[in-house]
Amino acid sequence: MKRLLVSLLALALLAPAGRIESESKIKVVATIPDLADMTRQVGGDLVDVSSIATGVEDIHAVPMRPSFAVMLNRADAVVLLGLEAEHAFLPALLEAARNPKIIKNAPGYIDCSVYVTPLEVPLSIDRALGDQHPMGNPHYNMDPVWGKAAARAIADGLGRNYPEHQATFQKNLDAYLAKLDAAIARWEKEGAPLKGKKLVSYHPDMLYFAERFGMEAFGTIELRAGVDPTPSHIADLEDRMKRNKVDIVVRELHYPAGLAETVAQATGAKLVELPAMAGGVPQAKDYISFVDYNLHTMLKAVQGG
Amino acid sequence: MGHVLRQWRVRAVLVVAGCVAAASAVTAQTPPMEQLRREFEAMKKQMREMQEIIRKQQGTIDKLTAEKSAPAAAPKAPSGPTVADEERIKKQVTEQVMRNLQPSLTAANKTFPSQFNPAIGLILDNAFSYKEHERGNFEFRAAEVGISANVDPFVRGYAILTGSPDGFNVEEAAIVTTSLPYNLTLKGGRFFADFGRLSKFHDHDLPFVNRPLALDNFVQGESQADGVEASVLVPIPQYLTLTAGAYNKLGAGNDRADNTKSRDFSKFTYLGRAATFFTLNDANSVDLGTSYAYTPEVEMDNGAERHLAGVDLTYRYTPLSQAGYRGFIWGTEALYNQEDRPVGGFPTAASTALLGATPLGFGGRGTGPAPVLAAATDPMAPLVFKRRDAVGLYSYVEARLTRRFYPGFLFDYAQDIDHVAGDTLAYSPYLTVWLSEFQRLRLQYTRLEEPGNRENQFFLQWTVILGSHVHGFRDR
Repeated sequence: MKRLLVSLLALALLAPAGRIESESKIKVVATIPDLADMTRQVGGDLVDVSSIATGVEDIHAVPMRPSFAVMLNRADAVVLLGLEAEHAFLPALLEAARNPKIIKNAPGYIDCSVYVTPLEVPLSIDRALGDQHPMGNPHYNMDPVWGKAAARAIADGLGRNYPEHQATFQKNLDAYLAKLDAAIARWEKEGAPLKGKKLVSYHPDMLYFAERFGMEAFGTIELRAGVDPTPSHIADLEDRMKRNKVDIVVRELHYPAGLAETVAQATGAKLVELPAMAGGVPQAKDYISFVDYNLHTMLKAVQGG
Repeated sequence: MGHVLRQWRVRAVLVVAGCVAAASAVTAQTPPMEQLRREFEAMKKQMREMQEIIRKQQGTIDKLTAEKSAPAAAPKAPSGPTVADEERIKKQVTEQVMRNLQPSLTAANKTFPSQFNPAIGLILDNAFSYKEHERGNFEFRAAEVGISANVDPFVRGYAILTGSPDGFNVEEAAIVTTSLPYNLTLKGGRFFADFGRLSKFHDHDLPFVNRPLALDNFVQGESQADGVEASVLVPIPQYLTLTAGAYNKLGAGNDRADNTKSRDFSKFTYLGRAATFFTLNDANSVDLGTSYAYTPEVEMDNGAERHLAGVDLTYRYTPLSQAGYRGFIWGTEALYNQEDRPVGGFPTAASTALLGATPLGFGGRGTGPAPVLAAATDPMAPLVFKRRDAVGLYSYVEARLTRRFYPGFLFDYAQDIDHVAGDTLAYSPYLTVWLSEFQRLRLQYTRLEEPGNRENQFFLQWTVILGSHVHGFRDR
């Protein structure tokens, strides 16, 4: 009995200690697993990171769950891709979360696009041109060089909020960038066979990847970004693909399979199925393995593997 | 001599350039849109070029830094950059970029004085209806302008202004706090009170063409209310929100009270609501809410109290990787109303006109035949009130088959709150087609079975959104 009492007392003493330790960490919510991974790399032991998306979702259609509002309510910072990639869920969740620390433009609102030079910045804003992103194409996480820029933005953002830990964030960032630099050097060598290859994707989210590896983003299965294709668009696309000898059709895994397969078969292009975020397939468990997976899957298709 | 001539030429060129610039400036006092657009695009291009330069120069700096910090395998070149050199280069680059960028930024600020204007959106809602008894009609249902913006660091404001065949109407115009402590939010003005689920939706936002009968009869339209509301996100791991409100009345079409007349506190309507959410697994979840509105004294109900309570449940199946084109939703809401009502119902305008009497101004929104039994016999006779309770519910299922096609089925049931007519039932299969994110067609068939009227109804609704739009947490 005495032993039991002692054990209970010890548990009672230890339990709050564990909780305090976890509560003393900086709570960060990232919108996608790529950024969650980078935040863990930069924040190290100082941060406790959660991700809203698991990686299998469409970044433009992540289902809003009230439990995310609870998560954001307790967060010290939110890390996002920006360029309105998350406009379908993040603004509403932030409003529901009622946390002034992380509302847009607050110090805890860490937009990772600040050091990115966006592609496809529209010259005119018009819904007739589809579901446009006025500040440019937001899918820069597909390019590891812009991944470095995102990591730098995270380090700066965390440092802005916690200047007492800035040196740690900078040290962790340097280590992570060195790791990314080494991987990028390897990817650039490995990706040489992709140079000049043409690809069509379901949605315009392969632009940054294509540019990084010297590929040509020829078109999209969607009529315009976010607008489902019409039969005439598909017929026209297939015709142009055949004439221009497009090599690859990319189906991002969160889009329906049937149409991408049909287009690939009709045009003789290879079908490649890729995740658009880390966590999209079991092999892409973090950001580096995500880029690894995408590059090697693409290479396999191009090299006829 | 030649040198002097060159100087004069240069000066002449400068004078001409100055004149041209001045002329341009004069013209630019009222710059045409096209010119502004070109200037803006040129500025954006310039910014992109600047960013590219920064990127390249950053690359150079990184490279130099990497070379410098590389292990001393190779002998260090005596002319290698020092830390001071790096800092100098960075400073020079920054200064150069800012010099080039600043005029454009300043110009942009001058060019767009309207940038503090609120976000504005417009929704157009039209329908064609065909009812067996009333026949066909092209219905302009509403043109709804939504305006919203932050006011300051503490509150935001929004308004929904609607033009419809009934005239111009301020549907909502409210101020909402954004930075209160303890997860509190305070809302004041005219807004849709936090009662139930779909009563907070504008007509065009509903999953079907018409508002469910139970909501139309019990809440009487949207839960529009003039008043104040406080809500809190309870700081526990489970999602739980609690709302309390006080209003003149609840319901856009509620005739029990007049928004323009002052009243005792006992004649306000008080509301409480709790809402929570359960995740069953990654793809399945349930929202559960309960609402209660209490009016201590309803003048036209013989000064008696009124209770209106509701329970709402929403089940969602949303496969994460296919959320854009697969899904299922089951939404149900049950309402209970209790209040004093006159035996035989209130006299209607028709019955009182028939007998030359003054109507009481309450026509009721019941779907059954006009409650005229007692009143029609003698509208001037004192009304005899009796405690009445009534229930109503709707339940619908909707599947998401593709990004475009959302078929569904709505079941409606409502009792007559006056207990004059019988129950009303309706069955409505429908198909929603999203032509794009901003354009929607909806085809609906309704089999209506109300006392004294059984008919088939057909609707084709066409709705578009222009301008600013938001994905609200409520609309998920």
